[in-house]
Amino acid sequence: MSGRLRGLGRQLLALPSVGWTALFFWAPLVLLVVYSFAQTDLLTYEIKYDWTLSNYGNVFQGLYLDAIVRSLILSVASTIACLLIGFPVAYTIARTPGRGQLILLFGVMVPFWTSFIVRTYGIFNLIGDSGPLASLLQTLGIIGDDGLHLLFTPLGVAIGITYSYLPLMILPLYVALERIDPALLDAANDLGAAPHRVMRRVILPLAKPGIAAGCILVGIPATGEYVIPQILGGGKTLMIGNVVADQFLSIGDYPFGAALAIVLTAIVMIALVLLRRGERRPVSA
Amino acid sequence: MRRRGPKPRVLFTALVFVCLYAPILLVIVFSLNKDAQLLHWEGFTLEWYKQAFNDEAVRKNLGISVQVAVLSTAISLVLAITGGLWYRNATGRARAWFDAMTYSRIVLPEVVFALGLFLLFSELNIGLGVGAIVVGHVVFNSAYATIIMQARFATMSVTLEEAAADLGANRWRVFRRVTLPLLTPAIVVAGLLCLTFSLDDVITSQFLGGTDAQTLPVLVLGKIRLHVTPEVNAIGTGLMLITLLTFLIAGLITLLRPTGAGGMLGLGRKAAE
Repeated sequence: MSGRLRGLGRQLLALPSVGWTALFFWAPLVLLVVYSFAQTDLLTYEIKYDWTLSNYGNVFQGLYLDAIVRSLILSVASTIACLLIGFPVAYTIARTPGRGQLILLFGVMVPFWTSFIVRTYGIFNLIGDSGPLASLLQTLGIIGDDGLHLLFTPLGVAIGITYSYLPLMILPLYVALERIDPALLDAANDLGAAPHRVMRRVILPLAKPGIAAGCILVGIPATGEYVIPQILGGGKTLMIGNVVADQFLSIGDYPFGAALAIVLTAIVMIALVLLRRGERRPVSA
Repeated sequence: MRRRGPKPRVLFTALVFVCLYAPILLVIVFSLNKDAQLLHWEGFTLEWYKQAFNDEAVRKNLGISVQVAVLSTAISLVLAITGGLWYRNATGRARAWFDAMTYSRIVLPEVVFALGLFLLFSELNIGLGVGAIVVGHVVFNSAYATIIMQARFATMSVTLEEAAADLGANRWRVFRRVTLPLLTPAIVVAGLLCLTFSLDDVITSQFLGGTDAQTLPVLVLGKIRLHVTPEVNAIGTGLMLITLLTFLIAGLITLLRPTGAGGMLGLGRKAAE
């Protein structure tokens, strides 16, 4: 077919995709930027386009600054938790011989593909004040009779994010670790390197692109998370995604909501650029 | 290497697997539990399933979910296929732009572009509802479908298509009789993934549904937030089965015929061997 489709006709094929993206992705984003400099008349709810920076000034104050900082802390903490939990799991899967490897990989992916909201609801049930986890910990004598206070706390939200995004960390780690030639590890062993030294000097540097990719896949969506704090935060542990949505859907201050959305976008973009740098530099000991 | 029983990391992996499945199993167990308070196991019942099945809202919202999923998948596939055809012959610079447009739709927080669309529709006085949700779902679904389709195009040689053209087939005929069959596995996998994403979506569906159109996950979110009834577990189990089924079919196809969709499912590299 190449060469047979002439100039214009060939270019037209890009139109559906480019058109849709321009109309329903870029235009809304431009609109958000424009709105973020406007102001709402609180009496009439009319929008005045007066190119003010006051919305951005308000973003970094009180309640909203709290939500931004909380989002960053929860996102970073959950990403680190995913990395610490995911690494041994990915390593184990990568070292499992034959068909077992595929089965384990499949086992990691199945929970990820069951409904997101239902899984979050499962966590809600599990960590509830009188849920199975509380009973188990009470039986083991780890906690007292006053129950488990995880639900509707930042820690509960962090557990939910870590649980939901763990498969997205395990996958790229597995891909990076599986590629490591076992001969390299044997060589390091034979040359007398202790296991922790092999890990630090051979495995970790080679796994670095996988670690960066995993952090992108977990950290980026976690920062803008909306559903998990809704269910597990119970309206108390709000993240920036929830605050943005509230401005649009219940408070009705679109310009301020738009400014918050732009700030969230900026945070995500900065994080992405930083993480991509780590991804591109694969080996550095 | 030492060999004294299972290594700690193996035990740890087993524990992580237990944790991955525990919340899901809990929902299933609760959906079959007689105890309305959901505190103890009080025997097996299908009562909650019956309740969910007879719930008018559940049935209506399931219908809306399916409608949105089918429409957004169909549109996303058209965008991905036409985009993929264009991409094959595009210059390097144009490709880079196209890629940036594709990945930005995946990277940007869903809350942001869903609210941007909300704003756009209210600015243009377009009512919210099923149509608005479909538009939103296509924004992210078409990006995933495009990536899968490009992976397929990248491994596809033009030999067969050129042969067909040399033998006198016109462009449309080459596309329909040669290109499309070659693309079929990727279309099926991309389609199933789009269906899953759409059926699973909460944010876009909630923001763009307005007051009339509510999808099943949005209903579930509402039920969880307002008042926990045992019925939620039954609806949730049903929802999980639907999304899981589409994933399993996609996985099976990937295993049988490598499509380049494996990256999405995490199975492709093995399957391609």
